[in-house]
Amino acid sequence: MKAPNPDTLKLHKDHSRQVMTFSVARAEGSDTAYFGCSDFKVYAGDLAAAKFEPKELFAHESYVTGVALAGTTLVSGGYDGKLTWFDTAGKKVIRTHDAHAKWIRKVIASPDGALIASVADDMVCKLWDAKTGKIVHELRGHKEKTPNDFGSMLYAVCFSNDGALLATGDKVGHVVVWDAKSGKELGTCEAPVMYTWDKVQRLHSIGGIRSLAFSPDGKLLAVGGMGKVGNIDHLEGKARVEVFDWKAGKQTAEFPGDKFSGLVNRLAWALDSSWLVGAGGAGEGFLVFFDVKAKKTLRQEKVMTHVHDFAITAAADQITCVGHNRIVTYKLGA
Amino acid sequence: MPRNTFCGSAAHAIDRRALLGGALAGAALASDMTALNALAAPDVNKALKKKQKRVILLWLAGGASQLETWDPKPGATTGGPFRSIQTDVPGLRISELMPKMAARMKTTCVIRGLNTRNGDHGSAALTMMRGRRDEAALRYPDLGAVVAREFGLTESKVPDYVTFYTQTEGRSMAPGASGFLGARYAPMELTTNNYPEFIKKLDGITDLDHLERADLRNVLGKGFEKGRSSDTLNSQNEAYQRVRGIMASEKLFDVTQEPQKVRDRYGPTQFAEQTLIARRLVEAGVPFVRVGRAWWDSHGQNFETHQEMVPELDHVMATLLDDLGERGLLDDVMVMTLAEFGRTPSINASLGRDHFASAWSCTISGAGIKRGSVYGKSDPKGNTVVAEEVDAGSLFATVYSALGLDPHKNYYVGSRPIPLVNPGVEPIKALVS
Repeated sequence: MKAPNPDTLKLHKDHSRQVMTFSVARAEGSDTAYFGCSDFKVYAGDLAAAKFEPKELFAHESYVTGVALAGTTLVSGGYDGKLTWFDTAGKKVIRTHDAHAKWIRKVIASPDGALIASVADDMVCKLWDAKTGKIVHELRGHKEKTPNDFGSMLYAVCFSNDGALLATGDKVGHVVVWDAKSGKELGTCEAPVMYTWDKVQRLHSIGGIRSLAFSPDGKLLAVGGMGKVGNIDHLEGKARVEVFDWKAGKQTAEFPGDKFSGLVNRLAWALDSSWLVGAGGAGEGFLVFFDVKAKKTLRQEKVMTHVHDFAITAAADQITCVGHNRIVTYKLGA
Repeated sequence: MPRNTFCGSAAHAIDRRALLGGALAGAALASDMTALNALAAPDVNKALKKKQKRVILLWLAGGASQLETWDPKPGATTGGPFRSIQTDVPGLRISELMPKMAARMKTTCVIRGLNTRNGDHGSAALTMMRGRRDEAALRYPDLGAVVAREFGLTESKVPDYVTFYTQTEGRSMAPGASGFLGARYAPMELTTNNYPEFIKKLDGITDLDHLERADLRNVLGKGFEKGRSSDTLNSQNEAYQRVRGIMASEKLFDVTQEPQKVRDRYGPTQFAEQTLIARRLVEAGVPFVRVGRAWWDSHGQNFETHQEMVPELDHVMATLLDDLGERGLLDDVMVMTLAEFGRTPSINASLGRDHFASAWSCTISGAGIKRGSVYGKSDPKGNTVVAEEVDAGSLFATVYSALGLDPHKNYYVGSRPIPLVNPGVEPIKALVS
């Protein structure tokens, strides 16, 4: 299926919210989306409704930074370290696990909906049976401390489209690719430019790998973050994407960014691999489309919110961006 | 007997760093040898009889967030993602990022009602180092200089005021300064490493050479002194003794002199090592040490920044308080955390917090402060102080009182009396034990 041309990207809807939305999940073919927010709550909202009024489903004890759909089961994770399973059909909480010792940064579901993956600042990626909630694997391949003896952070995780591969990325730019079935480490990549340690001026750090996405054939791995930062008081590094041949551990393309500053928090490929889209932000946000094969930037679009996450339909004809006090939907191919 | 006047004379213009600084030292001595009389005054030569108080200031440069440290607002829209945890003081909760301090809040007073009305790094830093704004024609001494003057011992072989500030950001905005007290109380500033550059003996001179030179100077000096009586001669002798003493104190700055288990206890970070050196210094009698920990100015990614930096502060501060307590020093050594301001309750689009001076926090531990106490209250979102507001002046008056000093004591600039705090400013009596 040929993906729509990024040139056709158009703003469809723009909803103001009183809260920051950190995560979004949307069932294929449905207008209902689920949101994890800064008021510690998980909401469901109808994106097609004349009046967009998300309804609270349940709450965590801190920011909700991951929501994932596995069939009709919604799994959410937050900075409280908890994972909550929610039955969207029966509208009730199924279970809650004290899943991680530190902040959960992201929660995703495998493409077949059988597994849930969560990553957290305890530097462990945990794979869970989506149905039973039982732990399947604990993947440990990231150091707990940065080279400067501060706690590291494990921000990013993604499955390959066939669900066979899993990738995790941390604060210092270390990426590990795993066999999702066996839990074995298959390879590593390094993107150290995405980690800025300021020894001279400010003695702390900023950055990290914030997003990952396998190409549809699973051969390439896109890594998103921010380039080196001069003044780490601000998210002023250029939005940065690198693409790796993960088996060789070699970078094959680099998009250092020119127009936008800030973190690339989410990446996704078009199913025909004709483009890769990244979204993120600093004070304001962006959507950037890349032709990875040609190593070209196709389109750079300003978004009126720092985008923390997006949901994209399988046909890549709709992108729902969530962020700082806004939820913005774009359409392509219309 | 402590000195209680300031003559405003050139005697106070001696710059110890210049004195120790090679060519600069030569220039200073050659240009005004009478300046050394400052070290010869009989009142000065008698040690301060009162119990010497000392201060370690952990200066959180750039402005740490009160919401991620001492005044959390979990669940508020402004509260951010961190939870609060119960401390060992009933009813007192602090950020979950500080579990070690939560177990030690009985040593500490939290002041939550700071309203200092200045959100500019430079001028706010000057105010929070001095407790007031300079006048057009009068530069006030900062806390370190006042403590150095009040508690420094002239026969001491250690410096009176040491400040560590290794990072470059904000350093020039928050210099240690002795103001009208003169260069005699200016800090020894360590910016490039943890070791003073000018106290080390030149490589080309052996210790024996140095001692023999001193002996020769003594022989010649005694010959010159015969039949003469001069304060200047005495002061020269004392000044040389002091220089020699401070040179001998170089090992205080050498963290490798500490047992490895003590170093491990503090941790390997620069802030940890400098704080350990600060403990070594106050234990040896240095009245005031500032450890500048830059840079907390988290306009972007405030929570990540605090997630990285607060656990370090928590660990180092808790270790310092334990260490001081175990050495029996906590009654005499005050530990403060202070900055130029705090951070906004509102969270910006970069998940940052900006400058905020309307309702922020600091802490005072040890010495004569009422421990296990909380003073001041901010509203549920942290935007304003709703009870027990504290400004820079009353904070400093409280600190002076807790050190056993009368905050209304006067220095004199010429004939003008200058109290330690501005007229009308009072200490918070409830916080002085």
